Amino acid sequence: MADRAIHFDNVRFGYGDGDFMLRIAKLELGRGERAAVIGPSGSGKTTLLHLAAGIAVPEEGAVRTCGVEISGLDDAARRRFRIRRVGLVFQEFELLDHLSALDNVLLPYRLTRALRLDDAARARAESLLQRTGLGGKGSRRADRLSQGERQRVAVCRALVVEPEVLLADEPTGNLDTDNKGRILDLLLGCADEAGAALLVVTHDRDLLPRFERSFDVRELSG
Amino acid sequence: MSGVAYLAARYLARHKLVSGVLVAALALVVFLPAGLRVLVRHSAEALRARAIATPLVVGAPGSPVDLVLASLYFESGAPQPVPFSEVQHIDETGLAEAVPLHVRFRTGGKAIVGTTLAYFRQRELRVASGRLPAVLGECVVGASAARDLGVRPGDTLVSSPETVFDLAGVYPLRMRVTGILAPAGGPDDAAVFVDVKTAWIIQGLVHGHSDLAGPGSDAGVLAREEGRITANASVVEYNEITPENLDSFHFHGDPGAYPLTAVLAFPPEARSRALLMGRYEGSEARQILRPGGVIDELLATVFAVEKSVVAAIGLVAVATLAVGALVFVLSARLRRREFATLVKIGAPRGTVAALLGAEIALVTGAALLVAGGLVFVAARFAPLLLRSALAS
Amino acid sequence: MLCGALLVSLACSGGEAPPPDAESTGGRLQVFAVNEPLRYFAERIGGDAVEVHFPAPAGVDPAHWSPDPDTVASYQGADLILLNGAGYAGWVTRATLPRSALVDTTGAVRDRLLARSDGVTHQHGPSGEHTHGAKAFTTWLDPTLASAQAAAVADAFASRRPELADRFARDRAALEADLLDLDARFAEAATALDGAPLIFSHPVYDYLVRRYDLDARSLHWEPDQPPAAREWRRLETIVRRHPARLLVWEAEPLADTVRRAAELGLESVVFAPCGNRCEGDWLDAMRSNAERLAAAAPSEP
Repeated sequence: MADRAIHFDNVRFGYGDGDFMLRIAKLELGRGERAAVIGPSGSGKTTLLHLAAGIAVPEEGAVRTCGVEISGLDDAARRRFRIRRVGLVFQEFELLDHLSALDNVLLPYRLTRALRLDDAARARAESLLQRTGLGGKGSRRADRLSQGERQRVAVCRALVVEPEVLLADEPTGNLDTDNKGRILDLLLGCADEAGAALLVVTHDRDLLPRFERSFDVRELSG
Repeated sequence: MSGVAYLAARYLARHKLVSGVLVAALALVVFLPAGLRVLVRHSAEALRARAIATPLVVGAPGSPVDLVLASLYFESGAPQPVPFSEVQHIDETGLAEAVPLHVRFRTGGKAIVGTTLAYFRQRELRVASGRLPAVLGECVVGASAARDLGVRPGDTLVSSPETVFDLAGVYPLRMRVTGILAPAGGPDDAAVFVDVKTAWIIQGLVHGHSDLAGPGSDAGVLAREEGRITANASVVEYNEITPENLDSFHFHGDPGAYPLTAVLAFPPEARSRALLMGRYEGSEARQILRPGGVIDELLATVFAVEKSVVAAIGLVAVATLAVGALVFVLSARLRRREFATLVKIGAPRGTVAALLGAEIALVTGAALLVAGGLVFVAARFAPLLLRSALAS
Repeated sequence: MLCGALLVSLACSGGEAPPPDAESTGGRLQVFAVNEPLRYFAERIGGDAVEVHFPAPAGVDPAHWSPDPDTVASYQGADLILLNGAGYAGWVTRATLPRSALVDTTGAVRDRLLARSDGVTHQHGPSGEHTHGAKAFTTWLDPTLASAQAAAVADAFASRRPELADRFARDRAALEADLLDLDARFAEAATALDGAPLIFSHPVYDYLVRRYDLDARSLHWEPDQPPAAREWRRLETIVRRHPARLLVWEAEPLADTVRRAAELGLESVVFAPCGNRCEGDWLDAMRSNAERLAAAAPSEP
C-alpha cells in the first residue's frame, strides 16, 4: 500500500444537502503511473481530484496519497502536505493575473515557509518556462498571456515543487488539437521525468490512448 | 521581503490608481491635522519668539493686535501714529532704550521701516555686505528682501507712492542701498530699513530745496522781505537725495510731533520694565503693550480655531477610513476566486488575512511616509508661509 | 530755532542712555567731537581713557562741514559723539547716528543760548512758515558756557566709565579752573576796552558780546577775501553811527584790507574762535585772543 501514489478505500463523499453522492470503493494508482479519469459532467471527476489532493475530505473511508492517509489529517496538515507534495493543474488554470508568469510559477514558494525560495527553485521555474516555450515571457503579466500560454504557466506552477503526484483537471479543455497534444506531451514528459504519478481528468476520449490506463468515475463505486 | 508582503506589493502595484488614491486619501487624512498642528506650532513659536524678543511696545490707543503686528511684523494696517516725542519721553525715564518705528511706506511690496541704529543692535541684525545707512536717503535691505528685489549695495530703490495720484505731494523717494543684512530668520529679513528721518522725507515732513537765501535763487522766490522768503511752486521737491542736495534737507515744525507707528522699549531688566509699564498705567493717550501677552491672546484664538478644524478633519478622517475599508472589502469580494486558488494550492491558514493585512499595512505605511514628508516640508516652510500669510 | 530743537531732540538721550555694553568697557572710549573746543575738553578730561576723533579736515569750519557718508559710518561705531548743540554741525540732523552715543553738551544750558543775529525765515506758500535761522552756536566764547559743556563731557564719560568718575571729576575741575581763569582774562580785556565800540568781521561773537557786555556790530567779511566796494561803503555807514576803533577778525586778514580799514580809523585785531584746530592748544589760543584784545584796546578815549 505504501508504494501506491494514490489509494482510495471505500470512500464516500456527499455535496450540499445530499443531492450528490460520490462513492469510490477502490482506486489505486502506482508511483509513476499515468491514468485518465473520464465521466460525464457532474459525475464527480473534479471531486475525485480534490479528495486525492486533500482539498476535500471524505465522509467515510480513507484516502492515502503518497502513502499518507490525508483523510485523517487536519486542515493545516493537509495544506502543508498538498503544497509540498502534490501538483495541481486547475480546469481554468487559476493564475493570479497581477503576477508575472514567473511569479505565478513560484507562487507556492511565496505562500509557505515549508518551501524555500532559493536559486535552485528559481532556476527550476525558469527552466520549466523555457521548456514550455515561455522562456522570454517570464516577466510578462499573466493577464497579458494567451490562453495556451496561461495553460502552460499553470502546468509549470504544478511542477515547480517537484510533486510526487500530479493532478490535472481538464488540462486540455478549450484547446485546439495541436495544443492539446502539446500540453499532454508536457504533462506526460514532466511526470515521467519527475517520476510522479499523473492523474488527469478529461472528457476527451481521444486522449485516452496516451495513458497507461483510464477509468470512468461511475465505474468506481463498486 | 516575505512572500506574502511581496504578493501584496505586486497586487498594489498592479492596481496603481486605486492604491494611489487610497494612499493619497489616507496621507491627507494624516497630514491635515498633523500638518496644521506643525504649521500652527511653528508659526506660534516664530510669533512668540519675536514677541518675547520685544519687551514693550508703546503706541497710540487702538487695537493692540494691530499695533503689535505693525511694529513686530511691519504689517501696514497702520495704527494711529504716536509722536516722536514719546521716544524722548521714554529715554528720559532712563528705564529703557526707546527705538522709534515708522512703518507706513513700501518699496516693491517690502515694508520700509524707519528706525534708528539701536534697532539693529537690539535685534542683533548684522550687515552681511556694505554698511548701515549713514545719511538721509540711504537704506539697508533685509536678506530675503534683497533677494526678492534683486538689489545689492550701490543699487537704488524707489518708495511706492501711497496712491497713484498723490495730490498731497508725497513724492516717491529714490533711496540708495548701502548694505544687505545677514539672514535673521524673521520679518526683518523681508524689510527695507531707513533712518526714521528718511521715512519722514518720504512722508513729506522733511524736505530739501535749493538754497532760497543764496544768490541766484530768485526764480523760486515769491517774495523776499526782511528775513522772510516765500517760495513758489517751482521750487524743486527732490525725490532723490544726493551729496549735492543733502545739506538742503531740513525739518519743518516740531520734530517731537513727527509721527511714528510705535516705539519699541527695551528695558535692561524686569524691574525697569515693570516701572515703565507703571508710568503708562491709566494713560488714555498711549498704550504700552507686552507683545508676548498680545500674541498669546492671538494664539489662544488660533489654537481654538485649530481645535475645531482638527475636529472637522477628524470627521472627514472617519469617513475616509470607512470608504477605504469599503474599498478593501469590495476588492476582497472580487478576489474570492484568487483566494480560493491559494487555498487549493495549499496556502497555510491565515494566508488570505495576512495578504490583506500586508496590503493595508503597505498602503498605510506609504500614506504615513507621504504625510511625514508633507509635514516635514510644512515645518520647513512654516516661517515662510507665516510671513507670506502676514504679508498678505 | 526749530531746527535746533530737532537736533536737540534727536540728540537728547546723551548720558541717560542705558549702560555701556560689556564688550566696550575694556578698551578706550571711542569719542568723536564736532569741534576743537570739545576735542580739547575730551582730551583734558578723558586722558588716556579715551581716544578722541575729530574728522573735520583742517581749514574748514566744522560748523558748516558735512562728512561724506563713509565718514558718517565711522561715527556709528562711536561710544560717544560730543555735539556742541545750538544747531552746530547741522549734518548731524541728516545723519544716522547712534542716539545713545549722542551728547548735547549745551543741553543743560539751553535757556542761555542766543538766537543768531542774522537768522532767516522762509515759508513754502502762504502757510507752513518755518525758520532755518537758528541759535548762535559759538557757545564756548563764553567760558562759563564752555565750562557747562566740559561738565556735560565729564558726565558722559563718567556714565560710560563709572569706575573712572573720580578721575574725570578731578580733571574736569582743573579744566574748569582754567576756564574760570580764561573768563577773568576776557573780562580784563573787556575792562581794558572800557565800553569802546567794536566791529566784528563775522557774526560769531554773540556769546562773547553778551558775557562781557561789549558794544559791537557785525559784518559778513571773510579774512582771506577782499571786501567788495559795496561792503566798504556799508562799513563806512556803520562806523559813522558806531564809532569803533577796533575791527576784530576770526583769522589774520589780508594786508590790503588791514590798510584800508586803518584808513577808516579801524585797527585790525585777530580773535580766533578756534572752532577748528588752532595753533598750540585751544586754551593757549584763547588766552592769546584775550591778550591781543587787551593789547589792542585803545589807550585814550
